[in-house]
Amino acid sequence: MKVKIIERNILNPSAEIEASKMELTPITDTISKISLFNNTKPNADVILNTIAENSDDINFVYVKKPAGAPATVEQIKKASEADISILALGDCGSCTTWVILDAIKLENNGIPTISICSHKFSTFAHELAKSHGIENLRILEIEHPIAGQSPEQVEIKVKKILPKIKDLLKLHKK
Amino acid sequence: MGNKNNEIKTNDNACGCLIDDLIGENLENKKNKREKLENNRLCGSQESDLEVYVDPDNEKVSYDYYMRKLTDGLPIIPPTKERLLKCLQYTDQDPNDVIAILPPRQGKATMEKIVINSIMAGCIPAFIPVITCAIQAISREEFNLPGVNATTHPAAICIILNGPVSREIAINSSVGCLGPGNIANATIGRALRLCLMNLAGAVPGIGDHATMGSPAKYSFCFGEAENENPWTPLQVERGFNKNTSTVTVMAVDAPHNVNDHRSRTAEELLDTIIHTAAVSGSNNSHVPGEFLLIMGPEHAKTVADDGWEKNDIKNYIHENAIVPVELADRGGRKLDEQWIADGEVKITRSPEDVVLVVAGGAGRHTMIAHGFGTSSESVTLPLTFKDGSPLHSIQDYKNQKIIE
Repeated sequence: MKVKIIERNILNPSAEIEASKMELTPITDTISKISLFNNTKPNADVILNTIAENSDDINFVYVKKPAGAPATVEQIKKASEADISILALGDCGSCTTWVILDAIKLENNGIPTISICSHKFSTFAHELAKSHGIENLRILEIEHPIAGQSPEQVEIKVKKILPKIKDLLKLHKK
Repeated sequence: MGNKNNEIKTNDNACGCLIDDLIGENLENKKNKREKLENNRLCGSQESDLEVYVDPDNEKVSYDYYMRKLTDGLPIIPPTKERLLKCLQYTDQDPNDVIAILPPRQGKATMEKIVINSIMAGCIPAFIPVITCAIQAISREEFNLPGVNATTHPAAICIILNGPVSREIAINSSVGCLGPGNIANATIGRALRLCLMNLAGAVPGIGDHATMGSPAKYSFCFGEAENENPWTPLQVERGFNKNTSTVTVMAVDAPHNVNDHRSRTAEELLDTIIHTAAVSGSNNSHVPGEFLLIMGPEHAKTVADDGWEKNDIKNYIHENAIVPVELADRGGRKLDEQWIADGEVKITRSPEDVVLVVAGGAGRHTMIAHGFGTSSESVTLPLTFKDGSPLHSIQDYKNQKIIE
């Protein structure tokens, strides 16, 4: 008689992903109003104000939202009163999460977005957008760190990404 | 026989049968003999004569899963189908039922996947209903799991059990309840963490960005010592019957001790707690919110003997746990003007934000744990069957299976 020793199979603990797919809202050719969606992270206001100061002939709507939690319905509504919304800042785990998830809400509402995240968190931002079915969400990297920096130091970092923002906003055509 | 390298050489055709058996068998069954000759074998033994199933090697599986980032770094129990089936006796959910979709990865937390991770954590089958309930609780919108999982803040998820089931599974609510030493406390919290890593994708550096992490992320689970509580236990305070078994989840820092051996009045003792709690650097200081207070039974008795009710304690802490604004406004989010009064900030939004439970053994200690601020609310859910009817005993599931 032969005895066969069989090792039991082990099961996979990983989850399947809830598949979803959504389209990016296109940016219009003529932008006249931008909502600046500030999650009140340190220097998020400096980033958004620097963008505003360098964008001529544009009107701005200023909206504040929580950093580590979702924006309220009213805040989303106010941020939607523009041709596009620029969200800042994702420079930590929970704030990056809610910059991206609130940007997705706006995209769902038909408002195109640009999310600004520090380069230390941009990989996570892209992965998060991908897991929500919008892999090509517009995410702009700014050099980390932003918190604990002087406004002048932050302005230098913002100016490095201004050309990309202008490209996305098609402002160079004006 | 061993060769010079001490390697034992064996013939692939060797079956281990005694020569007497081989002769006997050959005489009895000529057909069989022919087959054996064709196969160049000595006897009719087949590999399937006797199949013995053995558990996979723990060390090997633990290492393999660790290298694939599927563990918390500690060894695991290999999740086999046999163990899965035993655990499924303690739920009326189908294995493919999706209990929740867990962010950031948007993983489907099916019943089967929750059980697999619980097995890996070392849970016994009777713990499965508690873990399932905890998964349901953390997926509530107000808990803000996307933020709690991804934050750079060291937010752990504390699980507090109340009611008969907590006693039935013998969770520790007494001496050493925050660990180590009890299988329920150690493995239920660990099971939730493995679910967060493997189902939600909260893997450190990938979906969990806690700057340094926290020892409380390995497991932070205990029962309330309801018999030591001079006031109402947590589930009753939150609207459930005292015979209802509940699971409360709360996003908190690791606990911090409050050592007070000398206070004899409620006010003195609560002042010690307040001065331990009212610190800058916690989320409560710049985004006031919930705050966990695990009061030791001896401290609870001192306060109750002084005639203080639970609401008196909550009110006193809310009114007096204050941080100067210049120290409070140093957190990640800008301190909102609404929380500032006379240059100071209360660390809670209201007395209800003081989540007070009684637990622990002898000794004059209390534990506090700051919350995740305004960004997360604790959730208390009752243990129920799939149809929402209450679970009175952990054995109810097994009894139901027998009836079916």
